[in-house]
Amino acid sequence: MQIGIPRESLPGENRVAATPTTVPQLMKLGYSVVVETRAGQRASFPDSAFEAAGATIGTTADVWGSDIVLAINEPSVDELDQMRRGSVLITFLRPRQNQALIDALQAHGVTGMSMDMVPRISRAQSMDALSSMANISGYRAVVEASYEFGRTFGGQVTAAGKVPPAKVFVIGTGVAGLAAIGAANSRGAEVYATDVRPETAEQVESMGATFVKVRTAAADQGVSSDGYAKETSDDYNIRAAELYMEQAKKVDIIVTTAAIPGRPSPKLITAEMVAAMKPGSIIVDLAALGGGNCELTRPGEKIVTDNGVTIIGYTDLASRLPGLASQLYGTNLVNLLKLATPLSDGQIVIDFDDEVLRNMTVTRDGEITFPPPPIQVSAAPKPAAAEAEVVAVVEEPKAPKPWWVSFSLVAVLAVAAIALLTIAPASFVRLFGIFALALVVGYYVVWNVTAALHTPLMSVTNAVSGIILVGAISQLGNENPAIMVIATLAVLIASINVFGGFRVTQRMLTMFRKG
Amino acid sequence: MLANFVQATYIVAGILFILALAGLSRFETSKRGNAFGILGMLLAVAATIVAVWGPEAWRGDDWGAQMPSFIGGGGVLPLVLLIVAMLAGALIGLIKAARVEMTGMPQLIAQLHSFVGLAAVLIGFNVFIEVRHELVAGFLVPDAGFHLAEIWIGVFIGAVTFTGSIVAWGKLAEKISSRPLTLPGRNLINLATVIAIIACGVWFQNSYSWIPLILLTLLSLFLGFHLVAAIGGADMPVVISMLNSYSGFAAAFSGFALGMNVLIITGALVGASGAILSYIMCRAMNRSFISVILGGFGATTAVQGDGPAGEIQEIKADELAALLADAKSVMITPGYGMAVAQAQYPVAELTKRLTDAGVEVRFAIHPVAGRLPGHMNVLLAEAHVPYDIVFEMDEVNDEFDQTDVVLVIGANDTVNPTAMEPGTPISGMPVLHVWEAKKVVVFKRSMKPGYAGVENPLFFNENTYMLFGDAKASVDNINNALPAADGRAAIGA
Repeated sequence: MQIGIPRESLPGENRVAATPTTVPQLMKLGYSVVVETRAGQRASFPDSAFEAAGATIGTTADVWGSDIVLAINEPSVDELDQMRRGSVLITFLRPRQNQALIDALQAHGVTGMSMDMVPRISRAQSMDALSSMANISGYRAVVEASYEFGRTFGGQVTAAGKVPPAKVFVIGTGVAGLAAIGAANSRGAEVYATDVRPETAEQVESMGATFVKVRTAAADQGVSSDGYAKETSDDYNIRAAELYMEQAKKVDIIVTTAAIPGRPSPKLITAEMVAAMKPGSIIVDLAALGGGNCELTRPGEKIVTDNGVTIIGYTDLASRLPGLASQLYGTNLVNLLKLATPLSDGQIVIDFDDEVLRNMTVTRDGEITFPPPPIQVSAAPKPAAAEAEVVAVVEEPKAPKPWWVSFSLVAVLAVAAIALLTIAPASFVRLFGIFALALVVGYYVVWNVTAALHTPLMSVTNAVSGIILVGAISQLGNENPAIMVIATLAVLIASINVFGGFRVTQRMLTMFRKG
Repeated sequence: MLANFVQATYIVAGILFILALAGLSRFETSKRGNAFGILGMLLAVAATIVAVWGPEAWRGDDWGAQMPSFIGGGGVLPLVLLIVAMLAGALIGLIKAARVEMTGMPQLIAQLHSFVGLAAVLIGFNVFIEVRHELVAGFLVPDAGFHLAEIWIGVFIGAVTFTGSIVAWGKLAEKISSRPLTLPGRNLINLATVIAIIACGVWFQNSYSWIPLILLTLLSLFLGFHLVAAIGGADMPVVISMLNSYSGFAAAFSGFALGMNVLIITGALVGASGAILSYIMCRAMNRSFISVILGGFGATTAVQGDGPAGEIQEIKADELAALLADAKSVMITPGYGMAVAQAQYPVAELTKRLTDAGVEVRFAIHPVAGRLPGHMNVLLAEAHVPYDIVFEMDEVNDEFDQTDVVLVIGANDTVNPTAMEPGTPISGMPVLHVWEAKKVVVFKRSMKPGYAGVENPLFFNENTYMLFGDAKASVDNINNALPAADGRAAIGA
């Protein structure tokens, strides 16, 4: 099958859905690849590089006429018209907001797979383009902020006076939030972060930021079942607003990342909070595409408020690092096609038993298959009820037996041993004394053997139990030929033990060496 | 005089054997310990040879009272037999010891156990031939009944050790299936056999006849076979330790029958050693000794419901190499799978390269990893992994949470978090807390559950990655994918 890589027609889009690195990987799966002329130019991938990687360069019509089209943005009407019936389009489709597009795909008989519908399960992480783009956006958000910010991020003491570090507050600690924390922290800023999911505190702290918790009734600090934060209750929102207000007065830069897939972004930063911020402060709103987390955000634009606060609402942050974004997105697509090309024969198979493919597919064979059936993932800890049950099952620790139980046992055994030995022959009693003492000595000596030397211990005990050799030797001199023959045999096998056992022990012990 | 000399030498030999075991308490003294053992053996054998072949005149008046009656008069033929048999035995033993692979140590140990058992049976027979000869000739044998009891108990333990060890060897060498043999009513069979053996023993003591002794020997041989056949492959550490203990007691009972204190001392030492090892192994599996010996574990495992089915994540060798190169600390937990795949050399190579690159690499060894107590330590030592980075479970179990990457190579039940919860066959077994590390990579051939048949939820954890394939090939691939050590040095310079 042929894969087409179009030049993105959306204005301001710099990315491309394949790079010279991913093209050979696609071809390894058995596909041929057509790249539209100048498709990668803005991401610094010239046509010649694609050709060198094995792709052919084609026209817009060639590309959109392919069996599979890999893109980044939703197709325009023109582009969709050029697609063939039965072909597959893999791109960001945003099906929740875009019923018209789904209908159009159905009408054209095109199978549509949406990259923003990759489920958040472990297996699909390597295809999760939202995460890889969010990662880049988080980094870029800090870069944009530092460009607008009139001071350095890191604090220092100079001859001209002390410079305090910038204070950065990150709301929402998903992939983008964590990337922003990392970028700000590595520039030397003092970073604070919060999230509705308190369990992310650990990750936040591992990135070098301080987690600020919204103080609320613990009940609804719930974990979501689909891996995304959910909408929150009123009580929580009031408390959170208090926290944001408090932080807004203190910090220099706020990065908001609270985007809810398919819904308008929650308004977290009110005009009042913006007014409370210091002049020269920056807000970077990563949720601008869904309307923004800040009331004053204008999607796609940068504005400066009356009190001198800059609000950045760019929606193309990932596209501002086109080379890396294309590479990561391209790799996500390669991983997806690996899953959908089980035989590596260049034939795409959209298996609806696979929950990843099922979830992504919005139209297939002229049918609308959106929304997909819900899938539950187990990223969340088990509910507390189950835990309580487990605890109940744990049996009570046994009460230690009183001392007299073992004492009487030993006493009885001691009396029995004395009685038995009294009636035994004298020679046996003498030998038994030796036996008992040797057992006790052996017990204490062997407990001291280090666990690492247990194998040499076994082989050396093998060797010394070859002492039975002396018994066999003592019988050799007997005039009875039967005894002599049997004793010879015993000498033979006991010698194997003695020599073999000592030799192999020595061999092993020389192997142990200190580093 | 001579009698005293012999007895004194035996006592010294016994003490030297104690020193030999005591030397194994530390690496530094272990070689010295082995040398003490060799010296003790040399002295004991030399004294015995002097006692048998020394001139009649050296034997004082008290000879008869102090020494066992059967020590014969020496002679040329026995001397020739002695030299031939010892040379042959030495040759076989040395060749075996030189050739054995460290992965094959369990088999060798099992073989050596069987030899002790067989020797004990043979010596028991010999003593009986002598005693019977005296009785038939009309001599008065003091405490004949008691003496015969020493003989049959020695033969019994020796025979059980003999066949038990042969079956253990067969299972370890994969000559026979390592699955437990579960005959219906096998515990009843064992019980009946033991009762029959005791009955034969009593009969033997009263009849001085060969028939009960032969019967008893056959029954004991069957018991040894049946006991070990019912025990599965991964319980072998316990079985081998148990047979080690039996071989010691077999030697001790030969000592009673012969009236030789050195055999008794040594037998008791070895018996205690094996018993302690069995106990340590059982504790490491949280199972009672009785339940292991009664066997059948791992065969009757019911499938544990659906188990923690879920998503697993695969990782490729080159990705793992990059992960390892970036890690600060790496812990490796090997299991029997490493021995099977012969992966210890590539693992050692990996360890060396990571250590050279400044990564802290350590090994965490579960007591029952492998088929023999201490098996993993010997394998790693063979591959030149320094012993001071190889730790026991209890030493490092708290440090997994500070570890970046854990490599689980060929282990399963010993890293199963299910053991921390009640209600499974392995509940309560101490396990390595690998899941507390930042990332866990499990080397595995397939998703099959381990020996205990319990699903391992570790594989489905979010921080767990699976690397499927042969452990040796996988580790080789990682080594190839690691950046060359010299390249790194060049950048550093």
